[in-house]
Amino acid sequence: MESELSDEVSRASSSQGNHMARTQKRWDDIPSELATPADERDVERFGTDSVHQPVDPRYYMSPGQLYSTDSGSLFHAGKILIALVGLPATSKTLLAVAITRYTRWLGVRTKSFHVSEYRNKTEDGVDSSCSSTGLEFERKCVHLAVDDMKKFFQESRGQIATYDALNIQKKDRQELVRIFRDQDVKVLFIESIMTDQGLIDDNIQVALNSKKYINWDKQRAIDDYTTKLSVNESVYEQMTPEENLVYLKFVNFGEKIVINDNQYGYLVNKIVFFLMNLKSKKSRVYLARCGTSNSDKYIDDELLNEEGIAYSKKITDIIINRIRDRRGCTEGEFDPKKVMVWAGPRKRTYDTGMFFQQRGVFVVGRSQLKQLHPGAIADLTEEQVKKRYPKEYHDSLKDLYHFRFPRAESYHDLAVRMESLLMELEHTDKDVVIIAHESVLRVLYGYLLACTVPDVPKLEFTRGEITEVTFGPFCNTVERIPVPLDHK
Amino acid sequence: MPFTAISNENDLKIVIVMVGLPARGKSYVSQKIMRYLKWMSVRCEIFNVGHYRRKLGFEKPDHEFFDFENDELFKIREEALKLAFNSMVEWFDQPVDDSNWERDLGRVAILDATNSTRERRSTVLELCREKGFVTMFVENWCDISDVIEKNIEDTVKSSPDYTGMEVARATEDFKNRIDNYERVYETLDQNNDADLTFVKLINISEAVVINKIRTYLQRRIVFYVINLQAKPKYIWLSRHGESLYNVEKKIGGDSSLSERGLQYARKLKSIVADTISGESKEHLTVWTSTLIRTQETAQFLPYPKKKWKALDELDAGLCDGMTYEEIEEQYPEDFKARDDDKYEYRYRGGESYRDVVIRLEPIIMEMERQEHVLIITHQAVLRCIYAYFMNVPQEESPWMSIPLHTLIQLETRPYGTIVTRIKANIPAVSTYKKKGTSSIGEIADPNSSSNIIFKTPERA
Repeated sequence: MESELSDEVSRASSSQGNHMARTQKRWDDIPSELATPADERDVERFGTDSVHQPVDPRYYMSPGQLYSTDSGSLFHAGKILIALVGLPATSKTLLAVAITRYTRWLGVRTKSFHVSEYRNKTEDGVDSSCSSTGLEFERKCVHLAVDDMKKFFQESRGQIATYDALNIQKKDRQELVRIFRDQDVKVLFIESIMTDQGLIDDNIQVALNSKKYINWDKQRAIDDYTTKLSVNESVYEQMTPEENLVYLKFVNFGEKIVINDNQYGYLVNKIVFFLMNLKSKKSRVYLARCGTSNSDKYIDDELLNEEGIAYSKKITDIIINRIRDRRGCTEGEFDPKKVMVWAGPRKRTYDTGMFFQQRGVFVVGRSQLKQLHPGAIADLTEEQVKKRYPKEYHDSLKDLYHFRFPRAESYHDLAVRMESLLMELEHTDKDVVIIAHESVLRVLYGYLLACTVPDVPKLEFTRGEITEVTFGPFCNTVERIPVPLDHK
Repeated sequence: MPFTAISNENDLKIVIVMVGLPARGKSYVSQKIMRYLKWMSVRCEIFNVGHYRRKLGFEKPDHEFFDFENDELFKIREEALKLAFNSMVEWFDQPVDDSNWERDLGRVAILDATNSTRERRSTVLELCREKGFVTMFVENWCDISDVIEKNIEDTVKSSPDYTGMEVARATEDFKNRIDNYERVYETLDQNNDADLTFVKLINISEAVVINKIRTYLQRRIVFYVINLQAKPKYIWLSRHGESLYNVEKKIGGDSSLSERGLQYARKLKSIVADTISGESKEHLTVWTSTLIRTQETAQFLPYPKKKWKALDELDAGLCDGMTYEEIEEQYPEDFKARDDDKYEYRYRGGESYRDVVIRLEPIIMEMERQEHVLIITHQAVLRCIYAYFMNVPQEESPWMSIPLHTLIQLETRPYGTIVTRIKANIPAVSTYKKKGTSSIGEIADPNSSSNIIFKTPERA
């Protein structure tokens, strides 16, 4: 029987960002490090997930990157194609995107390629699973994706491509290895297997809410999707060591992980650790600034002032109401165990969580959330910095992300020390409220929304808003919740 | 306020149960896990069943003792397991001295034994369940004969079972013992053991099976063990050359090297060239901090360099740039508080040793993977890195003396780390401050554990 790449849709609801429209490089004529002056903030750009943006070869460094090399490749790993393997409704898209986000953040030039996107882009409405024109069409989409991946490795100095397609037959996989061997690209297969009916049902639900089934009769949609599943099941060949391929089996979303022939070293180990922490979740992240203190000096570890306490109370109410509305529970039903607060270690930051604590929410101080150390420029205004450190000031503008003022931390230093926290954030299925300094929120947001190095230092978080990030399989989305200000 | 570096789970009691034939590196992995966890302030202890068997009076049994057909001998080994387990329970029950440990992270006991049959493992599992311990099996499975031979050699040399025995005879007996185990060994299996939390390392980490890992701490441990490499390797460490601040007895700052410091920088080039050979020299990378004095120290070294913020000196906050005398005078309470608990004391607006350890963790993970690294950094940071490799407890590590103008070579081996020091013979001030005084000077007592020169080589 012919290999059948059926219509696999595991993308989330249609409320997501307009990601495919953003295929243009944004700063074509501007040197990347001078991309946008700080006062011309592009709200649209900062408000959407950039994980599907092209990798710009001129960004010599990315947010969490530890070092760079002449070839652009990291971790002595060479070029790797990470090919997902598995039936529809096994979270392949989520995995491809999450690995892309994380490895990009580490500094690897990674891009995800989704066969389903080619399908949507090329032609709408061809029913691919049954007719012979449908099969022809599927093959065309696979070819387009493979060609683009080749180009990505050859022309865009790409190091990792994540390839989101079924690849459920041995011959599909052999073919991939053969094609990319000639390109000097190694292939790592990640096979997602789901035996847990709850997980499968969740994924089917996501698929049924997708674009394709809009306006379909519910039962007809379910039948259609079930047919697709069973057609694929009948031809599926699970991976075994006898295939002599390098693979990682990911069973029931990380309940079991099997690594076969682990020869790509540290980079793959890092991905394994990441996958161990990854969860498909419905929880959200809330980013909030800490309340104010009287003199607002870095050097004193101050307590909240009256206004700061009022602010703490206000954000607690807003966030808890929000969570309650989302979960559809009433006043009495709020379950504080499904929420936790991580706060920075300074007194006023930790204390901003006190009203959460009163409502029974666990509040924990995290030393990794300590604000960017300002070093010599602590408590100086921009004017004073300009005057006292004119050269440093000038240099800092060239690369706000990596520049270190005397004795200070850079944003990059901050990102490196926050990596373990990101892992925990990926893992928890509780809503997480993060109360921290703006510099810390920038870095966290930079990871969650795949921002580029020039963008991160320019992100803005005020006490007038709480930022809510929702995890999605294809991209994360953001909403800004206003915090009404008191007018005294 | 609850402060935590790495986890959300509260006070878990985790038991890591090692699984594997003799000479598969179980003790090595146990040691490494313990070192890593302790260094991160997670309480950890190894309980070696062999040790309790010896306590029962079977100090140097020959291979026949490990005959699985013999019921009586089986009972003795069972008894040894119980003893080990009881000690573990006692250890878990000990009240925790919070000041030095991360309460929230839980505690980890490692049961180091072969645990080679499914029956034995379910006994252990049952014992743990009764006590409410969380179990995690770590299996070392290996069939690379070179690795096994090397492990046999190491075991015969270091195991108390074979002290005083002629090497050839000991080796033969040990191999017979392994044969006995091999007859009954049941490896962890994805089907039969599907409900267990385990990680199985096949041929170091060529293939890995990770099953039902539940807590963050366990995931950290898994990530750590899959990154371990078996072959011995070298790491070189040095403080920066004597700085102007060192001469003025000031702490912190970002000063340049003194004349003598520069001499050291120049001489370091030849010391490195003489000490580091072959492949290491070809691939050597020099890591420095972002501070001027480490970069000036590295300036004559003809190797690729990398600056790490994480390698910067402990930040003394308000006290930065002061002498100890000035600190004692201006902040007498802080001065005393720091001497009382140097590991935990956080300078006003600055850092504690614990803070430094947390920020060094990515460096340690990189060091486990990388080879051929020379690190030029600062006193406090070196103390922390050194404490990791040498298993120095927190009460001692902030008080270790690490003199200027000395290259330290660490050779990591399965049973410990061997240290060699190469002195540059360029005079420098001492920056060592003894507890309870603000004056700086060399330590007098050569037997003091704070003087690492005399602590080498270390055996686990």
